[in-house]
Amino acid sequence: MATVVAVMAATHAPGLTGWFDRAPESDQKVVLDGYGELRRRLEAVRPDVLLMLANDHLLNWPINIIPDYTVGTGEEHVGPADWFDEWLALPKYRVKGRPDLARAIVREGARLGLMFAYLDRLELDDGISVPLHYLTPGMQIPLVPITLNCTVPPIPSSERAYRLGEVLREIVTRRWPAGLRVAVIATGGLSHEPGGPRYLQVDEAFDRWFLDRLVEGDHHRIVRECTVERMEAAGSGGTAELIAWIAALPFTAGPAEVLGYAPTLAWRTGTGMVAWPPIA
Amino acid sequence: MGSVEKVDRTLPLNQMIFYVRRDAELRRRWREDFDSLAREYGLSAAEIEAVKTADVRGLNDMGVHQYYVSQILRLSFGAAGASNTHPALEAFRRAYPEHVR
Repeated sequence: MATVVAVMAATHAPGLTGWFDRAPESDQKVVLDGYGELRRRLEAVRPDVLLMLANDHLLNWPINIIPDYTVGTGEEHVGPADWFDEWLALPKYRVKGRPDLARAIVREGARLGLMFAYLDRLELDDGISVPLHYLTPGMQIPLVPITLNCTVPPIPSSERAYRLGEVLREIVTRRWPAGLRVAVIATGGLSHEPGGPRYLQVDEAFDRWFLDRLVEGDHHRIVRECTVERMEAAGSGGTAELIAWIAALPFTAGPAEVLGYAPTLAWRTGTGMVAWPPIA
Repeated sequence: MGSVEKVDRTLPLNQMIFYVRRDAELRRRWREDFDSLAREYGLSAAEIEAVKTADVRGLNDMGVHQYYVSQILRLSFGAAGASNTHPALEAFRRAYPEHVR
């Protein structure tokens, strides 16, 4: 049975690498300090594998087939996908997979009532690539990416996202036979509306309310009040990436610590990073 | 739900853009031979016109997934340096002046 050694969440918007210096220096500092602290904590706990939860930006499945959840089962992952090269301004990277754990998630997930699609060659967009760039630039820690449908209605509800986290926790901490140190990293959010009428807006009030709920640490209240509808109201088609953060909650053992926040119009997103104490 | 609910998953342009984003040869054809590519994917005259004129509001209103609207603009104007002064973002600013702060 595996040990959860870290649980964290952070924004992954393309501007964080693609046009980083166009934001105010104070916002840049939020990212450098916040991600820097997450990286320091990650290195301190020496994870064997990163279990990352992120939106699929309509990259891995044509729109006639949109699974709720997709697991990357490959021996190796290569990113960013070509289309994202210029946009993210990141070099190509390779990171090892953990197909044994990834396939266990697909297999045991079904036995627990949850359908996971899977791809040996999961294309990696900003949702995985930007956080990896900041957290593990050496790409030395094997990765199991799990993408969520955060943008094509019907988007899985917060209740369902929480259930996803419970199923993953059951698989990782109870059904996985070998000892393994797992870091759970959710990416996405905060408020943003990519390609919609409010593309050039950020909903700071929502972002601060959401972060306050994480600090409060009442999972029932978060699931009950932070609905997909409320996320959509704060920025349609993007803010619901926060269901990935909600899916991380079952791995946590207490309130979140907010490591930084800025409502960054220049990156067209609320920018934030949090860490939680992991379950024992 | 918000504006993303306008999406019409059956719209041919929503299929086409998926494959174009993933294939360098299709991206070349998008730039150099858009009309024949559009015919292959069965785009309507209205879809073709909206792409060619970078009609952000029209694309959203006809049911192109709004994330794909941003991608269409990037295909047309380039993906690098997509800050708020990028031509793709200027197109959004013109389309929705009531939402620009």
